[in-house]
Amino acid sequence: MSDASADDRRAEREDRDRPAFAGQNRVRSVKERAIEWLLFGCAALSVVVTLAIIATLLFDAIDFFTRVSPVAFFTGTNWSPKIDQTYGVLPLLTNTLAVTALSALVAVPVGTASAAYLSEYASDRVRSILKPALEVLAGIPTVVYGFFALVYLTPALRAVGLPVSTFNLLSASIMVGVMIIPMVSSLSEDAMSAVPDSLRQGAYGLGATKFEVTTGVVIPAAVSGIFSSFILALSRAIGETMIVVVAGGMSPKLIPSLFESSQPMTAAMVQLASSDLAGDGAAYQALFAIGLTLFVITFSMNVVSNVVAARYREEYR
Amino acid sequence: MATETPGRDESWYGAGEEVDRIRGAAFKWACLGATLFGISMVFVLLLYVAVDAIRPFSADAGWYLAVGLAAVVPTVALLAYYVRRDREAGWVGATATALPAFCLLVGSGVAILVIEVFPPHEWFAVVPALGAVVAVWAVHQRVRPDPVEFERFGVVALAALVAFVGVPGAVPSLEAALQSALLWLNWPTMMLYSFAGPIALATGILIARRHESRRAGAVATTLTFAAGVVSILLAPAVGVDDYLLVVVALSVAVPTALYAESVLRSGENVSGLALPVVAYVGIAVAAVVVETYGFTGPAAWLDWEFLTEPHSRFPQRAGIYPALVGSIMMMLVIVVSAFPVGVAAALYLEEYAPDNGATGRVVSIIEMNIGNLAGVPSVVYGLLGLALFIRYADMNTGSVVVGGLTVGLLILPIVIISAQEAIRAVPDSMRQASYGMGATRWQTVRNVVLPEAIPGILTGTILAFGRAIGETAPLLMIGAAAVVFNAPGAFTEQFSAMPRQIFAWSSEPSAEFRHGVLAAGVVTLLVVLLSMNAAAILIRNRYQRR
Repeated sequence: MSDASADDRRAEREDRDRPAFAGQNRVRSVKERAIEWLLFGCAALSVVVTLAIIATLLFDAIDFFTRVSPVAFFTGTNWSPKIDQTYGVLPLLTNTLAVTALSALVAVPVGTASAAYLSEYASDRVRSILKPALEVLAGIPTVVYGFFALVYLTPALRAVGLPVSTFNLLSASIMVGVMIIPMVSSLSEDAMSAVPDSLRQGAYGLGATKFEVTTGVVIPAAVSGIFSSFILALSRAIGETMIVVVAGGMSPKLIPSLFESSQPMTAAMVQLASSDLAGDGAAYQALFAIGLTLFVITFSMNVVSNVVAARYREEYR
Repeated sequence: MATETPGRDESWYGAGEEVDRIRGAAFKWACLGATLFGISMVFVLLLYVAVDAIRPFSADAGWYLAVGLAAVVPTVALLAYYVRRDREAGWVGATATALPAFCLLVGSGVAILVIEVFPPHEWFAVVPALGAVVAVWAVHQRVRPDPVEFERFGVVALAALVAFVGVPGAVPSLEAALQSALLWLNWPTMMLYSFAGPIALATGILIARRHESRRAGAVATTLTFAAGVVSILLAPAVGVDDYLLVVVALSVAVPTALYAESVLRSGENVSGLALPVVAYVGIAVAAVVVETYGFTGPAAWLDWEFLTEPHSRFPQRAGIYPALVGSIMMMLVIVVSAFPVGVAAALYLEEYAPDNGATGRVVSIIEMNIGNLAGVPSVVYGLLGLALFIRYADMNTGSVVVGGLTVGLLILPIVIISAQEAIRAVPDSMRQASYGMGATRWQTVRNVVLPEAIPGILTGTILAFGRAIGETAPLLMIGAAAVVFNAPGAFTEQFSAMPRQIFAWSSEPSAEFRHGVLAAGVVTLLVVLLSMNAAAILIRNRYQRR
C-alpha cells in the first residue's frame, strides 16, 4: 500500500470529521457545495486554457506536417512562404537564437549586478526609489520599446559609426535586453535577499570584506534562483514579438548579420498573420507549426527554470 | 611553526596584510552603474518621445513666462514647502490635485462610450430597467426578511428576465419598451435623469451614512443634481455637447468634492487642499494671460485634433480617436471577463483548495500550470484566439469581443496570482473569528475575506489591465484592423486598438510620422498606462495607512 493512498484516506477522514458549518440546513449546504464547484471551475479554467493552446497548435501543425515533412521544416535552410512556398524554419531559429544571445549579453550582467546592488548595497531609501523605477521598465508596452529601437536607437548607433541599416538585429536585440533587465534583477534580488543573514555574519566574522561576502557567499548561495531568473528572462526574449517586428526587419538569413535586417520566429508569425490567409492554406498552418515550436521551447524553459529553482536550492533553516 | 602553512593561508579571508578597498568600491559603483544603466536609458528615451510629441521649443518666450510665473512657480514652491515641512499634507494635496485629472480621463472614457456604444436613449432605458430589478430585490428583502434558500435569487432572476429579456417575439422586455416609449425626451434630459439622477442618489446615500444625517444626504443629492442641471445650461458657453458635458462634469466634480469633504470633515492636513487650488487657478490665469496677449504655445503633435480625428494619410491630420475607443471597449470586455474569473479562481485556490488528497494533487497541478501559463509568449495566445474564437466559434475577425477575450485569457494568470497574494494577506484570525460565530465558508469569504482583500486585488488587477492595454501581438494574430476610420459601434465589429495603431504608423517611413504622429501615439498610450498605475498606487497607499 503506497503512502499516497494512505494520505488520501486520512484526508477523507478529516473531511468527514470537519464540523458542518452549514448547520442542519441541507439547502444551504447544497448552495455551499455549488459555490465551491463554481470557484473550482474558474480555477480549473487555467488547465483548460493550457490544453486548448496545445490542442489548437497541434491540430493545425499536424495538418501542416502532412503537407510539408517535419524533416524539411526543421532542417530546411530557406524560409520563403510567399514566393517559393518553402518552409525551412532553420533561418528563423538562428535569428531567434541571435536575438536571445545578444539580449542576454545585455540583460544578464546588468540584471545580476543591479540585483546585487539592490540586495546588498542599497540603503532602504535608495531601494525605495530604484525598485519602482525598474518596475516602470517592466510596465512599458513592448511596441513602445520597438518604437524606441526603430526611431531613436538605430540612428544613435549610426551616429556612433556602426553601419546599421534601418531595420537591424542589433538595436532590436539591445532593446529586448533592456526590456528583460527588470525580470532578471527582481527575481535574482529575491533569491539574494532570501540568503539568511547568518551566512553573511559568519563571513564577516572570518574577516571578509563586503565585496567578498557578496561575490563569495551571497551569489553562490543564491545561484539556483539567479539561474532560474536567467532562464525565465531568456524564454521571455525568445517569445518577444513587437520589438523585433518593429525594429528587426522582415528578411530571415541563415547566418544573421548584426547590422542588417533579420526575422526571428515571432516576427515571421506576425508577417504570416498580417498577409491574407486562406483558412486551410499551408501558410496559415505554418503559423501554427512555428507557434508550436515556440510554445514547446518557452514552455520547457519555464519548466526547467522551476526545476532549477526547486532542485538546486540550498536549504537553510 | 604551526602557523606557517602557506597553502592554507590564502583560503582565509583577509590573509593579506591589507584589505583591498579599491576593488570593493569599484564593484559597488559598477553595480550601481548597471542598475542605473537601464533606468536612465529608458528615461532618456521617454524624454525624447515627450519632446517629439509636444515640441516644447516651438512656443513663444512669453508663453513660457506666463505659464511659468502663473502656474509652475507657485505650485513648485508650495510642493517644496510640503516636502520640507508637512509631508502628510503634501500627500493629501497631491491626491486632491491628481483626482480631478484622473476623473477627467475616466469621465471622458464614459462619454466616449455614450457617443459610440450606448447612445443616450439606450442608456436611459437600461438605467430604469436596472433600477426596477434593484427595487424588486429591496422590496423582497423587506417583505420576506428570512426567505427560503434560492427564493430571493429566483425572484431577482425573474425580475431581471422581465426587465431585460422579455418573451422573445411576444412580450418586449421592460428595457425595450422604455426605449421605444421615451423617444420624445431630448438627450440632455435623458442623461440628466439616467446619469445625474443615480449619481446624485448614490452621493446622497454616502453622505447620509458618513454624517449619520438624512438632511445632509438630501442636501448632497440636491446639490449634485443641481450641478448636472447647471452643466447642461453652461454647455453652449463651453462648446461641448450638453449631454456629454453632464457626464464629464459630474465624473470630475463628484469624486473631487467627496474627497475634499472627507478631508475637511476629518480636519487633518486641511492645508493640503491649497495645492490643487494654486495649481488649477494658476493654469486658468496662465490661459487667460496667453489668450489676451496672443502668445503661441508649443505646436504639439499631441493636441485635441490628434485625440478626436481618425487616421489620415497626411500626418498633420492623422489622429488616434477610433483606436482609443477600440482600446476602451476592449478594456470593458477584459474587465467583465477576466476579473471575475480570476478572482474566483484565486478564492478557490486560497480559501477552498485542500492541501492533500486527490483534489490536493489537482490543485497543485493547477497552481504550477498558472505559473507556466504566465510565461507563454503573447503571440501564442493570439494563435489560441485565432483558432478558438474565429475558426471554431465563428466570431468576426478582429472584433472587439475576440480581442478582449484573447487578451483577457493572456492576463488571467497575472490576475489570479496577484489576487492570490492579496487574499493571502488577510489575517487568519479574521477567518477564525468568522467561523467561530457560526458562519459558513462562503459567508466568511463574502463578508470577511473579500472586503478585506479587495483593495489589494484591485491594485494587482489594475496593473494587469495596464499590461493588457499595451499588448499588440495577440491583436495582430486575431486580425485587428491596421486602420479604421470609424470607431466600432458595437462589440462585434472590427476594431483597432492604440498599440495596433502605433504599430501601423511605425511602418510609415516619413519623418513626420516617425517623429510626430508616432511619438504622439506613444505618449497617449503611456499617459493612459501611467494614470492606471497611479490609480493602483493611490488605492494601495490609501488602504495601507489604515
